[in-house]
Amino acid sequence: MDRKEYLKTDYKNLKVIKTEILFTPLLIIFPLIIAGSLISDWYLRGYVQGNSSAFEGELILGIIILIGNILFDIPFIKSLTHYKRK
Amino acid sequence: MVKVAEKIKNTREKINALDFDAHWYRRAFHAFGASLIFYYMLPDVDWVNFLKIWVPFFIVLFAIILEILRLKGKVSKDHFFGLRMYEEKRIGSYVFFAVGILILFEFFPQQIAIPCILCACLGDPVIGELRHRFGMRHVYVFGFLLCMFFFVIAWYKSDVKLMLLASVIGGVGAVVGETKKFQWLDDDFMIQIVPAFLLLIVWISAQHFGFGLPGPIIHPLEMPW
Repeated sequence: MDRKEYLKTDYKNLKVIKTEILFTPLLIIFPLIIAGSLISDWYLRGYVQGNSSAFEGELILGIIILIGNILFDIPFIKSLTHYKRK
Repeated sequence: MVKVAEKIKNTREKINALDFDAHWYRRAFHAFGASLIFYYMLPDVDWVNFLKIWVPFFIVLFAIILEILRLKGKVSKDHFFGLRMYEEKRIGSYVFFAVGILILFEFFPQQIAIPCILCACLGDPVIGELRHRFGMRHVYVFGFLLCMFFFVIAWYKSDVKLMLLASVIGGVGAVVGETKKFQWLDDDFMIQIVPAFLLLIVWISAQHFGFGLPGPIIHPLEMPW
């Protein structure tokens, strides 16, 4: 990846790192909650009530959001812990 | 002298680490956007519908004002993490991203809006990552298939011909939108709006020709009281 494409700050970089750390829980937890809500809605209003075909779109969307976010969150968290260790 | 050299080395390492973070931060931020489709889960009652119109509008307005202040130098760019070099003197991609989602929420049916949002939130970073890693030009073929898949999910309950037409047009629109980046119009906006307008034409035409349109994918939750 091209590391030159991002704006840099040197001595002031604590501010931006704080911004990043502040948003991290929201970036990671919120999509998981939404994915869980979509899947549980499919289960409770669809599968349990014998109407799963009407809600299977929600199930697929829930799985897509879950996989999509895990796919990008893992390297993001790794890079963050990598920075913290430094 | 040795201490100064060591300090410079440490600072350089920190900056390099920051670059790496910025890359994955942007990717994670993109993926996070997919969860905004919870908008369609909100209960269908008057006061919630009122909030559904105005809350996203004011959030986007806040982002636009913040960007204007940054560009005018009233707010330091140090508060904005992960901005790209070309965004230093123009509106940041996140504002285009937010404006695109706002337009989709307010003016398009969810059968069009949801796959377009998924294209921007998941299709765009996947295409970007594959391009970064493999540098393949034909990565757009994969991008097209991925975006097409999102449109299939949204339209699979309609007539098969209509579903195929919508997913091909949506996939092509998303990839074309992804490739277009102008000084004042970002690909994060185009990847959402180009397929949305193309599909709006399909949506209106399908009604005219008597095709059965797909039903909503996400059903609003009921109020617990």
